[in-house]
Amino acid sequence: MAMLDIKNLNAFYGKAQALHDVSLSVEEGSIIAIVGANGAGKSTLLDSIMGLTQFTGDIHLDGRSIASARTRDIVASGVGYAPERFNLFPYMTVRDNLMVGAYTARGDISRNLDMVYRLFPRLKEREKQETSSQSGGERQMVSLGRALMSSPRLLIVDEPTIGLAPKVCLEIAEVLKRLRDDFSLTVLITEQNANFALSLAEQVQVLESGQLVASGTPAELSSDERLAAAYFGHA
Amino acid sequence: MLQVLIQGLLLSGLYALIAVGFTLIFSVGRVLNLAYGAYLLIGGYAYFYFAQTLGMPKFAGVLMAGIFGCVLGLLKFQLIVKPLKGNHVAIEISTLILAVFLQSTVIFVFGDSSKILLPIIPGVERVAGAAIPFSNLFAAIASWIILLSLWWFVRSTHMGRAMQAVSMDAKGAAISGVDANRVNMFTWGLSGALGAIAGVFFASYTQLYPGMWVAPLIIAVAVVIVGGIGSIIGTLIVAHIVGFLEILTSAYIAPELRGVFTMLLIIVILVWRPSGLFGREEL
Ligand SMILES: Nc1ncnc2c1ncn2[C@@H]1O[C@H](COP(=O)(O)OP(=O)(O)O)[C@@H](O)[C@H]1O
Ligand SMILES: [Mg+2]
Repeated sequence: MAMLDIKNLNAFYGKAQALHDVSLSVEEGSIIAIVGANGAGKSTLLDSIMGLTQFTGDIHLDGRSIASARTRDIVASGVGYAPERFNLFPYMTVRDNLMVGAYTARGDISRNLDMVYRLFPRLKEREKQETSSQSGGERQMVSLGRALMSSPRLLIVDEPTIGLAPKVCLEIAEVLKRLRDDFSLTVLITEQNANFALSLAEQVQVLESGQLVASGTPAELSSDERLAAAYFGHA
Repeated sequence: MLQVLIQGLLLSGLYALIAVGFTLIFSVGRVLNLAYGAYLLIGGYAYFYFAQTLGMPKFAGVLMAGIFGCVLGLLKFQLIVKPLKGNHVAIEISTLILAVFLQSTVIFVFGDSSKILLPIIPGVERVAGAAIPFSNLFAAIASWIILLSLWWFVRSTHMGRAMQAVSMDAKGAAISGVDANRVNMFTWGLSGALGAIAGVFFASYTQLYPGMWVAPLIIAVAVVIVGGIGSIIGTLIVAHIVGFLEILTSAYIAPELRGVFTMLLIIVILVWRPSGLFGREEL
């Protein structure tokens, strides 16, 4: 049984439809990437999983439907989300941002905080800084850290590399791999940067104008023109 | 001089307590609760009824005031603010009407005339020519204790951090597992309790009368507009500006003008710095 199973998802902003009949499943222990150009519907798909959009269709987590669950219950049942624009709390310190992430997992605070600071030693050094004064890379780390504080088994990251320097991208890729290998998390990311996605994920899905148009392993997809079409400009 | 300093400090502590419940709602719920003054009104009369009419212990009277304010806040959230979700003009109009309605109710139950609250702690101390009623001293100290506890609460508890989180980024709070509805309920209840307790102190400072909701509302609005912020420390600072302005005005210009300068200050800040002195609305 897949950990996350999405069936015939149609998402709407008012009357405008942003996703068309998207079906997708994520196996436990895998790293999956959804690749697509700006406006393809990547963020809408992830927001829908978190119960933050209007949609039809079904979403199952560990076999239980979460399609009409409240966001807080989805978080509490083990889904951590690091969104595209981070949505951090700007006038709170790094540490307090992380502590808010622990809202539904209060028993695991010391273990999770320890894990986050081991993965991102820089956050430990700057734990007293307000996130409004931080760089993009640091904010991405706080955002990932905050998601990890809820003890997720499935980590969802929207464009982990957007706007980040190549060196920081490598750092983030390393962390995502470690989360899967050492902490047995399942990881679902989106990317416009197809090279990053192909180098990290075992399974890649191509999203174009709200529809999944191709899927496969990086080896199968690296020569697929639909992938090139979906992210032209980023090759 | 010392007299002005002492009176300023006492009054400002009370003003900070009056304003903090209002700024909490403004920061967390982004609502200008124009019925805020009604908490003070209800609190003052609840105290009068339980402690003075029924003769319950004074502490129990303050507690009852807090409970009445809390319940009123929760009702306001459930019956007005939630159904009108996001419609700010409608919320402001309905809360203002609610305040007038509560004023009429108070007149209906308790009559039109003003009432004197017996001092919470009887006695007066003379300091540097100023008569300092123990009640006012107690009100100021209690205000400070409440504000410090609140400051600690907002920074150091899960619910307090969730309140800050909702005020700074609603989506970020949601994906952290924070239920904004519950946080808002909590904040409305807390705001009501704080306002009602401030009402007991305010009424014992001045007197208890059915129109008692207007002056505190102006003080609270002044603190929010001048500070432009919902931070508790900012509220404290601005409450002192407003409090000292009043004391200085009545000491050196004319007692009748004390409130006028507060209102002038609101207008000056609105024109000069619309985002307030500190330019931040988050908690
Ligand atoms: N809040 C919104 N209101 C209306 N339309 C939106 C909103 N957010 C996204 N859209 C539209 O939905 C489509 C998908 O957007 P999005 O999911 O953000 O794509 P991506 O994350 O792949 O860049 C786009 O056409 C976008 O204009
Ligand atoms: Mg996006």
